[in-house]
Amino acid sequence: MIDIRRVCVVALRVVRQLKRDRRTIGLITFAPIVLMMLFGYALSGEMSGIQLGIVDLGGHPALRSHLEGVKDFTVLHLGSESDAERLVSDGRLNGAVVISPDEIQLLLDATSPQIASAIRGAALAGARSEVLGSGAPIVERYVYGYDMEMTDTIGPAILGLVVFFFTFINAAVAFVRERSQGTLEKFMVSPLSSTEIVSGYILGFSLFTLLQSTTTLLVVIFVFGVPLKGSPLLLLSIVILLGAGALALGTFFSNFARSEFQVVQFIPMVVIPQIILSGVWWPIQSIPDFVRPVSYILPLTYATDALRAVMLKGSTLMDVLYPDVTALIVFFTLSFASAILVLHREVT
Amino acid sequence: MEAVDARDLVKTFRGLRALDGLTVRIPEGVTYCLLGPNGSGKTTFIRAIVGLLRLDGGDLYVLGEHVSSIGSLYHRIGYMTQHRALYPDLTVQENMEFFAGLYGIDGQRRKRRIAELLEMVELSDHRDRLAGALSGGMYQRLSLACTLIHEPELLLLDEPTVGVDPALRQGFWMYFDQLASEGKTVIITTHLMDEAGRCRIVGYMRAGRMAAEGSPEEILRLAGLKPHLELLLEDPERDASLLRSEGYDVEVSGGVVRIRIDRHAQIKEIMEIITPLDIRLREPSLEEAFLTLSGAA
Ligand SMILES: Nc1ncnc2c1ncn2[C@@H]1O[C@H](COP(=O)(O)OP(=O)(O)OP(=O)(O)O)[C@@H](O)[C@H]1O
Ligand SMILES: [Mg+2]
Repeated sequence: MIDIRRVCVVALRVVRQLKRDRRTIGLITFAPIVLMMLFGYALSGEMSGIQLGIVDLGGHPALRSHLEGVKDFTVLHLGSESDAERLVSDGRLNGAVVISPDEIQLLLDATSPQIASAIRGAALAGARSEVLGSGAPIVERYVYGYDMEMTDTIGPAILGLVVFFFTFINAAVAFVRERSQGTLEKFMVSPLSSTEIVSGYILGFSLFTLLQSTTTLLVVIFVFGVPLKGSPLLLLSIVILLGAGALALGTFFSNFARSEFQVVQFIPMVVIPQIILSGVWWPIQSIPDFVRPVSYILPLTYATDALRAVMLKGSTLMDVLYPDVTALIVFFTLSFASAILVLHREVT
Repeated sequence: MEAVDARDLVKTFRGLRALDGLTVRIPEGVTYCLLGPNGSGKTTFIRAIVGLLRLDGGDLYVLGEHVSSIGSLYHRIGYMTQHRALYPDLTVQENMEFFAGLYGIDGQRRKRRIAELLEMVELSDHRDRLAGALSGGMYQRLSLACTLIHEPELLLLDEPTVGVDPALRQGFWMYFDQLASEGKTVIITTHLMDEAGRCRIVGYMRAGRMAAEGSPEEILRLAGLKPHLELLLEDPERDASLLRSEGYDVEVSGGVVRIRIDRHAQIKEIMEIITPLDIRLREPSLEEAFLTLSGAA
């Protein structure tokens, strides 16, 4: 049985402790802003020009290499036509070329005719350089996308990333301390259950997650001019759900660390893959096939997708319920269960 | 009913037998002292009692319940760990409030308990200081106060008085005696013999077993130690042979004559035989008793 009052006692303690920890508070508030500036500006230069997707189903090598060589194009290789269509309609690609032996299909963004004609021109020029007789009909299809800045796609993703990162690390460090301080042993011989401990932590940390995500959100909206089309409440709820899962995961991992120093060593293992593979910087559809399955088991992949959809497209809870929110709920449930299991094993 | 009833407890840590057939019965309403050299298994035994250890053998009952269902007893048990478990970044008051909260103590009762206990450990004036900024002894005192917050019936205190100044330590012991007189059981480990001497029962552990157990008086009797008289004499050799001829057990070393006596009344008889310059009565110490007992064991 969970006693809500005991959960609140633990939460209050977490809040009191964090409140005194000025450095951590400063870090969790300002780090997202710094990251946003760093990546937002750095990458917006890098990724300027036309983002073109190529889906290669075989044939026409000369066309392909011609497209890859066009100076203004940044080319992403994608696995399927539907991936390409989705990214164009999400505004993450300006267009895509689907190359198959007997047809060349252009997916163009109907909302920006200049870019569409640039892509068309390049495709035609590429097709002309093909060996005579190997030509295939070029068909055009229009998709309604929208023009988007790099900061637009990165803003919502950073929100999820920092919450995951800081909550995971802080939770793991906090539990390592509980162990080395001996307070965890005191918990074990008190009426407090493992479920209440972890729940109390989640409650306490959620307040800080809220603080962190609100400041990040304000900066993203007002400094970087990213539109907020959906409900801020839904956005924050998704962030809190992600944070709760990250906290439970940190608690679970703390079991494998004997010191705070060892916690730092989890960063390359748990955090870096999420940063690289969860679609924060580039679409997961462009990640090579053999690592892409990893992307689909990372919680941040789903959080990033959901946060973008709510922020940029104004998606509602029903829109992001499957697979994104469902995946986050599964992630939370699994981490929570593992955290509690590990705390039960405390008895030696 | 016994507060703790342990039979043949065995606990092995990677081949090391920390508890090796430990059998003890600790009645309710007493102060019970666990003595023993470093590594003899005192802390291990206490951790077993509170259910923090999975035993490799034996039977253990705590407050009448088997240790496997200890979870339901936690509100009746107070455990002060050897390594002090507090939150250094909370204040004295906040630490107390936190532990009170874990046991569902709130409102007026919480206020009263915290005031009472801070008074007892003399930390009332420091309630707003961060625990991490307290002196070693104060930290210790706060840890004890937090352990007592929920008025447990069974108290397990692992070296509670280490680093506490003598005056305050005196106060602690009066408090422990008072708890025992209220029917609570206080189990304490210590390395200080004068503290052991204040307990109703003393158990002396060695290598994971109970080597000797009883009241301090019983332990002394068991060890067969007797008081002796130390005499400073003008002519030690002459007086020593005089006393020997009267049948006393006399030993001379460094100009001091030592006589073992059976009864204190013998002092008067000795004074009639000789006239010492100075005289000192040596009662056997608990420490000697344990050394004798464990040497024999
Ligand atoms: N968790 C553990 N893992 C491995 N060995 C342990 C563990 N806990 C205790 N031991 C070993 O068990 C033995 C008994 O230790 P214990 O802490 O019970 O001694 P103690 O009587 O409390 O000593 P002290 O007077 O120093 O506090 C020691 O040899 C110790 O090294
Ligand atoms: Mg010990």
